[in-house]
Amino acid sequence: MVWLACLIACLWPLAAQADRLDFAAEGGSPQPLVIYGVLDAPQMRPLLEAFHRQAPDLTIEYHNLDTMALHERVLDERAAPRADVIMSPAMPWQYQLANAGLSAPVDSPVAAAWPRWARWRQELFGITFEPVVMVYRRDLATHMRPPESHADLLELLSRYPQALRGRITTYDPRRSGAGYTYAIEDAGISARYWELVEALGNSRSKLETTTSAMLEGLSDGRYWIGYNLIGSYAQAYVAEHPELVMVVPRDYALVLQRLAMVMRDAPHPAAARRFLDYLLSEPAQRLLATATPLGAVHPAIEGTGTAAALRERLGDAIRPVEIGPGLLATLDRLKRRTLLQQWRQAFAGDAAPPVTPAAEPFPLDNSEETAAP
Amino acid sequence: MSRVPPWQLAHLSLYRRLMVWLLCPLAVLVAIMLVQAWIASREAADRAFDRLLDAASLSIAEQVRWQQSRLWMDLPASALEMLATDAQERVFYALYDAEGHYVTGNRLLPELPSEDDKRMRYGDVGSQGMALRLGILRSRLEGWDRSDRFEVRVAQTREGRTALANQLFVDSLANILLIAGLAVSVVLLSARFALEPLTRLRRAIRQRNPRTLAPLELSLPLELAELRQALNELLARMRRVRANQERFIGDASHQLRTPLAGLSARAELALRQSDPEIWRGALVTMHDTATQTARLAGQLLSLTRLNNPEATPARQPVDLVDLAQRCVRQAYTRYHRRGVDLGAEVVEHPVIVSATDWQLEEALNNLIENASLYGAGQVTVRVAEAPTRLMVEDDGPGIPESHRLLMLRPFHRGQETGAGTGLGLAIVDSIARAHDIRLTLQDAFPSPTQRPGLCIVLTFPDAT
Repeated sequence: MVWLACLIACLWPLAAQADRLDFAAEGGSPQPLVIYGVLDAPQMRPLLEAFHRQAPDLTIEYHNLDTMALHERVLDERAAPRADVIMSPAMPWQYQLANAGLSAPVDSPVAAAWPRWARWRQELFGITFEPVVMVYRRDLATHMRPPESHADLLELLSRYPQALRGRITTYDPRRSGAGYTYAIEDAGISARYWELVEALGNSRSKLETTTSAMLEGLSDGRYWIGYNLIGSYAQAYVAEHPELVMVVPRDYALVLQRLAMVMRDAPHPAAARRFLDYLLSEPAQRLLATATPLGAVHPAIEGTGTAAALRERLGDAIRPVEIGPGLLATLDRLKRRTLLQQWRQAFAGDAAPPVTPAAEPFPLDNSEETAAP
Repeated sequence: MSRVPPWQLAHLSLYRRLMVWLLCPLAVLVAIMLVQAWIASREAADRAFDRLLDAASLSIAEQVRWQQSRLWMDLPASALEMLATDAQERVFYALYDAEGHYVTGNRLLPELPSEDDKRMRYGDVGSQGMALRLGILRSRLEGWDRSDRFEVRVAQTREGRTALANQLFVDSLANILLIAGLAVSVVLLSARFALEPLTRLRRAIRQRNPRTLAPLELSLPLELAELRQALNELLARMRRVRANQERFIGDASHQLRTPLAGLSARAELALRQSDPEIWRGALVTMHDTATQTARLAGQLLSLTRLNNPEATPARQPVDLVDLAQRCVRQAYTRYHRRGVDLGAEVVEHPVIVSATDWQLEEALNNLIENASLYGAGQVTVRVAEAPTRLMVEDDGPGIPESHRLLMLRPFHRGQETGAGTGLGLAIVDSIARAHDIRLTLQDAFPSPTQRPGLCIVLTFPDAT
């Protein structure tokens, strides 16, 4: 399992170095609080600092893990969890944990008022709003009209197959969990996705495993267009690289959410609920919108970097990945093989190295099997 | 009669009794309806939600095929999504092959006992501390080459079912309570309405003059009409009793007045004379009359005492032989002087009956005296057995058969002559009735015309 976790650690975008943040309690009788998250220290620090000002009696221990490591660790510790709160953008995996009963309900008024579409059962809460975007080089406009939607991209690919040959990059769904999630969601939204995959294959698109690799390639000039990049990372990167333009597709934009939950057998349930309440509170959400590239969900907050702003701009085109049992289908191993096979056939196989998907990169559908009897 | 145990209903008013008997079954009925509604709403909710399991498993089964030498399935997300209703149930699914091996899924789901050839089976199972509703669809591959069996198992938690069941139950609860409320008010009203004639009867009785014994005239329902009838019969009996009493008092006064008037007249007559001899004669006559009157008064008193229903003197074993001999012995000399031959013919051994000693003695004395007063020269007291009898036989003039019953009425004398008070047989009759003794008057000898005589028989009831 360890090698598997390592493998997945390499596969997930922006594999974060395992680091941690600590905040010591001020005053007597400190209450510990352990958080597992997938958010780098620079983005997490302002949130935790603000929370600690509000709750100085807590000794906070934040572990920044990579998504699969987090999932593995939670499963390993399921008998006696060490973490009180876990937050991860790997929505299917988080949902699977909650569905299996590893989460505890939070009954605070804040949690009850949280938008229906961003929560499940008072147990799983989507705390951020992160669109999946396209990034292109600013100088692309001199050759062709830059794409603003999936349809645009498909049209460009069929009109300029030679010019764009090898110039497009996207996730390899066979090697990247995020890429796989997007592929399955894209395929679910439109049947024309397969035409797009075919066109991508025809134009020998390059497949990457992380958003940062794609962003670097774009910045280098190796790639002209990047398709399906994680918006929060791209936004931060584009802000520092003026040669790149980020565009949220007009026809539809997938939106990921970081899902947070309190562990069922959390060692410090009271502190865990306080932290979750804080995450859902207006100040924390405002901080998310302003101090981090992550979008805020709270309906009362408006302005750039919020769900409300994105909705206003794109209207019905916003497709948040639904927090529901459909996510479980994503994790079905046969489903995964089926989809990847279809994907490979559509991609026509020749551009991509013949990668057999790592035997079971998602061992989690069997976790119940191994855990049960 | 005395103390009623608290659990008995005898002391409850009719209204309360009706309430208890109507409302208790009603409450039981409502309880049964509630339980039934609860079960029905759970079943209805299960039926409704089982359709989801059915649809989801069908939708999954459609995607099962044979591929790469194994069972294969392209899990449709919509199948899982349809299992999660507004209640956001937890959802589990699994695909098992013909041998029961787990192929894919997100939890190992148990097998359900197979019942005949049903396509879809449902069951409630527990899995890792969760209560799940499990649906298992048995199906087989549709294809040219393979037709392997497989099972799609889907499960969901019960939140949605519970919510629907509760809602259905609350709906039927409202209906049941409404019906129960109506039923209670109908019961209250009809009980009041049904008991109204009783209230009328009570009022009618209460408003009567306590001295009237006139029958009740009141229109009443059938059941109460019977009560009114019984009441009127009782009143009629009381009227007769009162008439009897009044006649008795009248007769008694009359009987007492006559000798007193005679005394008074005799004394007055004697006072006009001055001869002590005449006084003496008058005094002797007056003494006789006074003695007779005193006996009359004594007999009246004992008759009244005997007729008093409140007095029930204790009974004890009495030997009839001893009694007969004692009476004859005590009276023998007195009667002998009057020229009456008094004798006793008894059995050799004691004959025991349960009776009040002094009453039997009085009855026997009355019978002996009666016989002697009405002209008998020979009186015989007999005690016989099987059945136990006490008999007084005389050789007097006897009583014609047609008059014998009349003799038992007070102040009725067989003949106007003689010194009887007319109460003797009435007293004997009262005593006999108090002891359940049969009193019969019969001829003393087989041929009354040649040899008259009366035999009075007291037949005692069997000791059993």
